[in-house]
Amino acid sequence: MVYQNKNRILQTLSIFLALSILLLTGCASTNGSIVSVDDPYEEVNRSMFYFNEGLDDYVGEPVSSAYNFITPNFVQTGIGNFFNNLKDINVILNDLMQGKFLQAGEDTGRFLLNTSAGLGGIFDIASKIGLKKHNEDFAQTLAVWGVPKGPYLVLPIIGPATSRGIPGMVFDAAANPATYIPIPIRSLELLNMRSNAKGTLKVIKEGALDPYLFTRESFLQLRQHLITDGQSELENDLDFDFDDEEVDNKKTKFKQVADDLNTTGRLLEKMGNIFNNSSKKIDELGGRRFKSY
Amino acid sequence: MIVMIKNRGFLVIIVLLLAMSFTNSQAREQTAKQVVEAFQAKLLTVMKQGKSLGFQGRYKKLGKAIDTSHDLTKITRVVIGREWAKLNKEQQQKLVNVFTELSIAAYAYNFKEFSGESFEFDSEEETTRGGVIVHTYLQIPDDKEVKFDYMMKKKGESWRIINIIANGVSDLALKRSEYTNILKKDGFDALIIKISTKIETYAK
Repeated sequence: MVYQNKNRILQTLSIFLALSILLLTGCASTNGSIVSVDDPYEEVNRSMFYFNEGLDDYVGEPVSSAYNFITPNFVQTGIGNFFNNLKDINVILNDLMQGKFLQAGEDTGRFLLNTSAGLGGIFDIASKIGLKKHNEDFAQTLAVWGVPKGPYLVLPIIGPATSRGIPGMVFDAAANPATYIPIPIRSLELLNMRSNAKGTLKVIKEGALDPYLFTRESFLQLRQHLITDGQSELENDLDFDFDDEEVDNKKTKFKQVADDLNTTGRLLEKMGNIFNNSSKKIDELGGRRFKSY
Repeated sequence: MIVMIKNRGFLVIIVLLLAMSFTNSQAREQTAKQVVEAFQAKLLTVMKQGKSLGFQGRYKKLGKAIDTSHDLTKITRVVIGREWAKLNKEQQQKLVNVFTELSIAAYAYNFKEFSGESFEFDSEEETTRGGVIVHTYLQIPDDKEVKFDYMMKKKGESWRIINIIANGVSDLALKRSEYTNILKKDGFDALIIKISTKIETYAK
């Protein structure tokens, strides 16, 4: 009986695996063309994106609006500060793992100051005195260590990620004391995050022609910016298009130069002819003189 | 002799006029930094008067400011990438027109109120391709500052904005990904309809 059950589980698992492989490989080749190399699973990701959007419309947005309505701004800021302060522990750990020792020192100072004088992190005193908050996480550390980012993924509820981001999230969750706070209190963090993201989500919904692509591109660019601490090459992929125009301009200039050379060639030819004629005449004259002698 | 003196006087006047027109054109020719700062100042002014101006008022004022500080033809061309060459002249012009309208409408819609924001110049950097990047920060009271980098290129004699990069996110790259995708999948007419719908939504 136990054996049969095991077999069934194995069977179900293998069917599930086979289906997911089919689904993923199927997606990579559907639609005729893959637009982005970063996003080979675009079709699955898109459906997950719309699922998350639906979930947000029906659950996230109404709950967050209610939270906004009953919670004064200063309480929201305090809650945000409290959870951000706990995240500073992650920031310090990742600073150290990336070899940013000076920054780790600053962030430790930040954490100690906000935990003590900032009453457990409710007040962000450190920012007021110029100790800026840094943004480091384990996914960035993995990037610094040379782990490739892998394909872009949209996870249920969580949203955009790359495959490198998944172990990153697991590590960061384990290292963050907030993870061990009872769920009802932790849910405040989620509400606060959703409430803070309100403006961004509104801009995406109202401004994007294709909200999925807008989210994907801004997520990937923002992550790159964080990984390189803002030092990533600013231009770059857009040069190509300027090239097109510059090549056009150069082509026109080359054509002009070629035309000029042609004209000059013709002129030289004419001058050559004139010289030829002149030398013939000189020869003739010389011949006549010889004859006269 | 009198003619000579008269001629000399005339010559001096001409030289002076020429010199003046030269210095005037020098004064009129703004640096990349000045173009960015003038645009940011205009943006803040419009934000301060945002409510009284209304959408149409903001659209009108920002329209002029964007027109003199951005190179929207070039931006449209880069946004469309290689698809640009596949469009005919009329389509290219149509796209530039609706894209210009959309850009102004987006500014007029999103920058409608003022809550103490200010721009701060950070540095200026020359690119290898003859452009300039003007690094600035948008300071928001009680919030994290946002890094705004303006990519500038020369259009004739004046510097124009061709891309804005906010905290590492390039506006041009975002739009390029969206627009080329829609062009390839749904075609030119669908793209124009989508942009026009957005403009209408902003104006409501």
